[in-house]
Amino acid sequence: MRTAPTPHLDVATPERVALTLPVAGIGYRCLAWLVDASLLFFFWLVAYFVFTLLVSDVLGVLQGLSGVAQTLMVVGFFATQWLYWTVSEVLFHGQTVGKRALGIRVVRLDGAPVSVYESAVRNLCRAVDFLPMLYATACVSMLLTRQHRRLGDLLAGTLLVREERIDLDKYTAAPEATAPVPSAAGARPLTPEDVELVLSFLSRAPGLAPDVRRRLGARLVERVGPPDAESLAAVLASAESTEAFLRARVQGAR
Amino acid sequence: MAIPLPAYVARRRQDWDALQALLARQRAGTLKLDELRTLDTLYRRASADLAHAQTFYPGTDAHRFLNQLCGQAYAAIYQPPRERWPAVRDFFRREFPATLRRERGFVGASAALFLLGIVLGAVVVLWEPRGAELLVPSGVRHYVAQGRMWTDDILSVAPPNSVASGIATNNLTVTIVTFALGLTFGLGTLFLMVNNGVHIGAITALCAREGMVGGLLDFIAAHGPVELSILVIAGGAGLMVGQALIDPGELPRGQALALRGREAVKLVLGCAPFLALIGVVEGYVSPGDLFPTWVKAGLGFALGALFWGYLLRAGRTDAEAAGMPADRAS
Repeated sequence: MRTAPTPHLDVATPERVALTLPVAGIGYRCLAWLVDASLLFFFWLVAYFVFTLLVSDVLGVLQGLSGVAQTLMVVGFFATQWLYWTVSEVLFHGQTVGKRALGIRVVRLDGAPVSVYESAVRNLCRAVDFLPMLYATACVSMLLTRQHRRLGDLLAGTLLVREERIDLDKYTAAPEATAPVPSAAGARPLTPEDVELVLSFLSRAPGLAPDVRRRLGARLVERVGPPDAESLAAVLASAESTEAFLRARVQGAR
Repeated sequence: MAIPLPAYVARRRQDWDALQALLARQRAGTLKLDELRTLDTLYRRASADLAHAQTFYPGTDAHRFLNQLCGQAYAAIYQPPRERWPAVRDFFRREFPATLRRERGFVGASAALFLLGIVLGAVVVLWEPRGAELLVPSGVRHYVAQGRMWTDDILSVAPPNSVASGIATNNLTVTIVTFALGLTFGLGTLFLMVNNGVHIGAITALCAREGMVGGLLDFIAAHGPVELSILVIAGGAGLMVGQALIDPGELPRGQALALRGREAVKLVLGCAPFLALIGVVEGYVSPGDLFPTWVKAGLGFALGALFWGYLLRAGRTDAEAAGMPADRAS
């Protein structure tokens, strides 16, 4: 069973291999923005509290500043908002703190990391993407484009790709040294789909309810199991023996 | 026939783990030269493994893992050239002015729109004084009616919503929004340029009617030339984006947009330090009676001349000086 094809970015490398990078959808992006926005919010909150602790008459001090200081302050405030996104995207390989937390990164359309110009463009366009409120324009743009790009991404030629945490341990996990399991001599060779199915069952098995665990194990043994009846009965005797057999079966050719 | 997947993973996993570790070190910036060679070798091996997995084990986690691993290694190995300080220097010495000269058509169009707005605003207010109620903000009208400049209060402590920081915010917002609204097929930029022109024209005309044009000149003379130039340049950048959307030429619209967006943002980024500089002038020199009008006017004229002299002369090549149209074609 296949789900609907997810949007992806195809990259042809000079090594003649096609990379298929999954594109981050609107949900990932909103969550990453929430993380970044709350980070900035708390930064200014803390800065404000520190300031009020040090200075009692905040309004008076602000009004007492000369024109140049006030101007610099306002310019500095805007610059930090914009610099935060651009500097972290350029220095940390397309990731701000929020993007890192969500495991997404900004890349160019050819899969390469963003440079200063591209990052500058896409973050300058936040001003328009934010309109009329809370990134409404950006959300519409992300829903309408195939690779979930907001206007700034369209202008800069960038998009966000997702990184998954994939555990290879399940392939190489050593079988527990228990009683010898019946060999599956004469059974058909397994396809990669069978291997994937059995391995995902084995990694989930410890968390399943006992009867479900036995039932699923039995169905898998039925699919990949030994052809003769008495070894089948031995395999199905307990959940442990079933799983030991399955593990030996998928790792059999080692 | 391919060997079973677990056996394959077990055999090749060592290399993949090594590649992952090297990539982590590359990101941290602690990679040595001989490790770089290993990285290259391991990446090529992983690429071959990915091709193998695509053929024999498609749709498995091992395939996805290799895909992601190669994607990370690809991004680490085929990096665009990094911009460093020499690149920044080169940008301001040559690239920014050259880009501006190359796109002078757009900057010219933006300036024309702005002038059109000024003329419109001025004509309306001079022709029909009540038009000022429509075009001039009520706060400004209030001051003018009292025969005072609204900018006189900037250095005093009275109003907390100080005009100086308001103006600085305004400059920055207007510059960014003018550029970014190019994404509305240039219509937003067009509107903003004309609208800003109308405002300035209307205020000037109102001051002229009330006999306060001297006061207005006194305020805007020092920073006006450069600041309005920056606004016009940002408008030109917005128009570039709009033009790429309306008429992408031979490229698909998306590609044309990305290409022109990169050029256009150079104009905006190039203006940024000048905007900061002129903000200082505007906050410090322009308001109040600290400097006599002729000093302000002289300073404004000199800054404007320097700015445009820099834009038109810096990094000029011989081909450009000879007036060859080579740049326009590219």
